[in-house]
Amino acid sequence: MTATTANRRRWDPIVRITHWSVAIAVLANAVITEEGSGPHIWVGYALAAILALRLLWGLVGPPEARFSAFWPSPRKALGHLREIRAGKRTAHASHNPLGALMVYAIWGTLLTIIATGIAMAGPPPWDGAERGEGRHVAVAPGHAGERGEDGGEREDGEEGEEGEEGPLGEIHETAANLLYLLILLHLAGVIFETRRNGRQVLVAMAPIGR
Amino acid sequence: MTDRARTRERKAAGISILVALQALACAFFLADLVGDVLVDGFGLHLAVEAMAALALLVAVVLGALRVRGLIADARRDAAAVAVAQGALAELIRLRFAEWQLTAAEADVALFALKGCDIAEIARLRGSAAGTVRAQLARVYAKAGIDSQSGLIALFLEELIGLPAA
Ligand code: HEM
Ligand code: HEM
Repeated sequence: MTATTANRRRWDPIVRITHWSVAIAVLANAVITEEGSGPHIWVGYALAAILALRLLWGLVGPPEARFSAFWPSPRKALGHLREIRAGKRTAHASHNPLGALMVYAIWGTLLTIIATGIAMAGPPPWDGAERGEGRHVAVAPGHAGERGEDGGEREDGEEGEEGEEGPLGEIHETAANLLYLLILLHLAGVIFETRRNGRQVLVAMAPIGR
Repeated sequence: MTDRARTRERKAAGISILVALQALACAFFLADLVGDVLVDGFGLHLAVEAMAALALLVAVVLGALRVRGLIADARRDAAAVAVAQGALAELIRLRFAEWQLTAAEADVALFALKGCDIAEIARLRGSAAGTVRAQLARVYAKAGIDSQSGLIALFLEELIGLPAA
C-alpha cells in the first residue's frame, strides 16, 4: 500500500493480525511441526480459521481491505509492469495490481492446502495417527520417524484405507511446494516495492508501531 | 496523530485480536462438532454445542463489523479535523490580511490564538514582554476587540457557523 494522502496509511489491524498469523502458521507447518502430526493439524485448523477471518474481512472490511479494491486483473497487472519499466509510480490505496495477483495466488494455494489437509485429517481427536485405520492408535515413534525419512515419495498410501488419501496427500504436498515458491516471489515483490517506494510498504504491514 | 485517534486505534487492535481468537475457537468448536456428530449422531447435547458454535460465529462477524465501524469513525474524524484545520488556516490568513497586520503582529496574534500568554509569546519570540504587549494591543485595535479571548472568540464564532464537513 502506498500512502495516497499526506498522512501515512497503514493496513488495518485485522489485515495485519491475519497476515502475521498466517505467516507464522505456514512457517510452523513448513518447518516445525511433523507432517500430518497432531500439532500440524491443530496449526492447520488455526490457519483455516484465520484465513476465513481475512476472507470475511474482504467482504465487510474497510474499502482498501475488500476484494473489490484489488480485484485480480491481468490487464492492470501488465499496466503496472509497464509503469515499473517506465520508472513511473502511481499510488495505490490497496495492493498494487501485481501484488493483488500474488495475494489471490497465495490464498488459492492456502485454500487448496487447507481443503486437502482437512479432508485427510478429518475432525478431532487429532492424535497424529488419524490416517486410515490408524485413527485410534497413538502414533508409534517408529512410524513417525519413517515418515520423516521418506520425504516426498511415500509408500504408505497402500496401507488400509489410505489408498484414497494418496491423491489428497499428493495435492497437499504439491500445493505446499507451490506455496513456498509463491512466498519467495512474495518476498521478492515486497523487497522490490520497498526499494521502489520506500519503507512505507513495510511499515504499513508492521504488526506493531505506527 | 491525536491522542484520541491513538486510543481509538488501540481499541480497534484490541477488538481485532479478540475477533481473531474467537475465529480460532469457532473453527475448533465446529471441527469438534462435526467429529461428534459423525460418531454419535445428532442429539440434544450436540444441538446445544451447535448453538454455541453458531453464537461464536455471529460474534466473529459482529466483532468484525465493530472494528470496521471504529476504523470508519477514525477516518471520518481525521478527515473532519483536516478540513477544519484547512478552513481555519485559510480564515486566519484572510482575517490577518484584512486587518493589515505586519509580519511580527501576525506572528504574535497566532501565538495569542493558540492560547499563549504574553510571557510565553515573549519567550518564544525572544523579545521583551513590553514589545509583545504593545504588538498585541495593536492587533486588538486593528481587529476591533479588546482581549485575547475576544480574538479567539472571533474565529470560533465563524467556525461554529461553518456547515459540518
Ligand atoms: C500452509 C500450511 C501447510 C504446509 C506447508 C503443509 C505441509 C505439509 C507437507 C509437506 C506434508 C507432507 C505431505 C506428504 O508427504 O504427502 C503434509 C502432510 C499433512 N498435512 Fe499439511 N501442510 C500445511 C497445512 C495443513 C493443514 C491446514 C492441514 C489440515 C487441517 C494439514 C494436514 C496434513 C495432514 C493430515 C498431513 C498428512 C498427509 C499425509 O501424510 O499424506 N496440513 N503437510
Ligand atoms: C509465510 C509467509 C507469508 C505469507 C503466506 C504471506 C502472505 C501475504 C498475503 C496473503 C498478503 C495479502 C495481505 C492481505 O490483503 O490480507 C500479504 C501482504 C504483504 N506481506 Fe506477506 N506473507 C508472508 C510473509 C511476509 C513477510 C516475511 C513479510 C515482510 C518481510 C511480508 C510482507 C508483506 C507486505 C508488506 C504485504 C503488503 C503488500 C502490499 O502492500 O500490497 N509478508 N502477504
